[in-house]
Amino acid sequence: MNLELRKINITDLKLGDQMKVENGTLTINEKKIIDELKEDVNIKDVKVDIAVPGEKVRIIPVKDVIEPRLKIEGEGKGFAGVSSDMAQLGSGKVNVLNGAAVVTIGDVVGFQEGVIDMWGEGAKWTPFSSTYNIVVDITPIDGLDPHTHEQTVRFAGLRAAEIIGEAANEVEPDEIKNYNLGNVHEETEKYPDLPKIAYVEMLISQGLLHDGYVYGVNTQDILPTYIHPNEELDGAVISGNCVAACDKITTYQHQNNSVILDLYEKHGKEINFQGVILTPEVTTLAGKFRTCDYTVKLCKSLGADGVVISEEGYGNPDSDLLMICKKLEDEDIKTVLITDECAGRDGMSQPLADTTPEAKAVVSTGNVSHVVTLPKADKVLGDDRAIATLAGGWEGCLENDGTIRCELNAVIGATSEIGYHNLTVKLY
Amino acid sequence: MSSKCYQIVTNNPKVKEEFQEAIYIKGDFEDVLTKTRDLVHKGAELVTHPLGASIRMLYSPYRSIIIKEKQDTINDFYIQTIENSIVTYQKHAATRREDSDNKHDYENVDYQLLLSSLKECESLFYDNHTLSGGAIQ
Repeated sequence: MNLELRKINITDLKLGDQMKVENGTLTINEKKIIDELKEDVNIKDVKVDIAVPGEKVRIIPVKDVIEPRLKIEGEGKGFAGVSSDMAQLGSGKVNVLNGAAVVTIGDVVGFQEGVIDMWGEGAKWTPFSSTYNIVVDITPIDGLDPHTHEQTVRFAGLRAAEIIGEAANEVEPDEIKNYNLGNVHEETEKYPDLPKIAYVEMLISQGLLHDGYVYGVNTQDILPTYIHPNEELDGAVISGNCVAACDKITTYQHQNNSVILDLYEKHGKEINFQGVILTPEVTTLAGKFRTCDYTVKLCKSLGADGVVISEEGYGNPDSDLLMICKKLEDEDIKTVLITDECAGRDGMSQPLADTTPEAKAVVSTGNVSHVVTLPKADKVLGDDRAIATLAGGWEGCLENDGTIRCELNAVIGATSEIGYHNLTVKLY
Repeated sequence: MSSKCYQIVTNNPKVKEEFQEAIYIKGDFEDVLTKTRDLVHKGAELVTHPLGASIRMLYSPYRSIIIKEKQDTINDFYIQTIENSIVTYQKHAATRREDSDNKHDYENVDYQLLLSSLKECESLFYDNHTLSGGAIQ
């Protein structure tokens, strides 16, 4: 598969009558977005706003973040199998509005708390404070059941990204990135002496507000499955998880999966990148044994010498992560785990809900319990009431002047377990 | 075909209403974990993991766990899993309080996640998976 991501750098954002890019300025026709989204009979109202880096704006509660793109050559338009016709993704040419993001908001339930601050202290902690954000606030019709409500908001976000992506039509890119990976035999013939490395990407797959999707299929319903890395970079993997703010993997982060991009970077130099195995994190223990065995079998079938495993979430998924690690190591396949830590305010507590001695190489993407202070915003996009929820969970953290003290776990993408975030790791 | 009974341990009123045979705990999340631990020590198997998939769900006032009724042998794995879950929960409870402001939403999400788990059970267990008192719905 050969995928060309043609990046058009966005350096400013404004509302206007047309959808276009001129000299790095993205103009958004909000009426077009509203009209098209309201074609969905489940949507009562849509509001479109913009938020640019540095503004004293808070966006809350965030459901998903999506990168707007337009495929100009090759199969599959937008999110194939979901908001457009099914197609094989992973090949062709895609114009990317690099630096722009669609942010969907709207509370499906009252305790969603994901926040993006576009300025100051809060901006430091989320990668989506430096994107030019088109904020789409979706109000569904009354009386929808929670699953339909969630699906309505999820689809609207994807559709909005497709509509905005049309602004990239006939715009020359600032940078072109090529991603080309043959089948495992071809790559091993080319690089016979390099270690064969597979990537296991775990996805929360547990029900309402705790799901992931591949080509629109709920990952609750899949066995671990092999995909070409280009398919994920081309929009095959979609987020449906919106309560674990800091370590949910947004659709934007799937489209720009840092582990995939880094493995690509090292492919043919240090490693032979074998591809991606998507592994669902289910709720039953028997299901966890099954996905563990199946994941290990796929890694062995690929002949992998080593595997990078990234987690999504905290709690019961820690068990999946460590079971897969242990079983791979028992098979003499080296593992590197990527996870965040829930290590207490002082960072001194055991960071995961489970542990195993085989987990020797673990990359931490940050401590979700770290406390941050977020000053009062001049403007809130979304639901003001959600701020109380953000502060919830412990006493006395919403100050009279509107300042909030909260844990990092409320900040979108703060401790991304696929490494698409602002924190870094230092060895002491 | 063997017949094994499944049980739900819950403090969620909505679950109690829908599954009248559930073991209903008048108490908090930790009480559900403690009751589950007691049953596991007496030989019950854990069917679902005692913890949720995100920190947010540790704020939930409600929790529902599926177990399999008493087995012939006691399995260390299940004991270790429930004991670790209690330690993890207590660690969180020391610095966070449950989010009772949104208790109705948590009640519903816990119920919805339970329904997903029951659906998952259907695909996993070919034996006659009955809830104590009625078929899994």
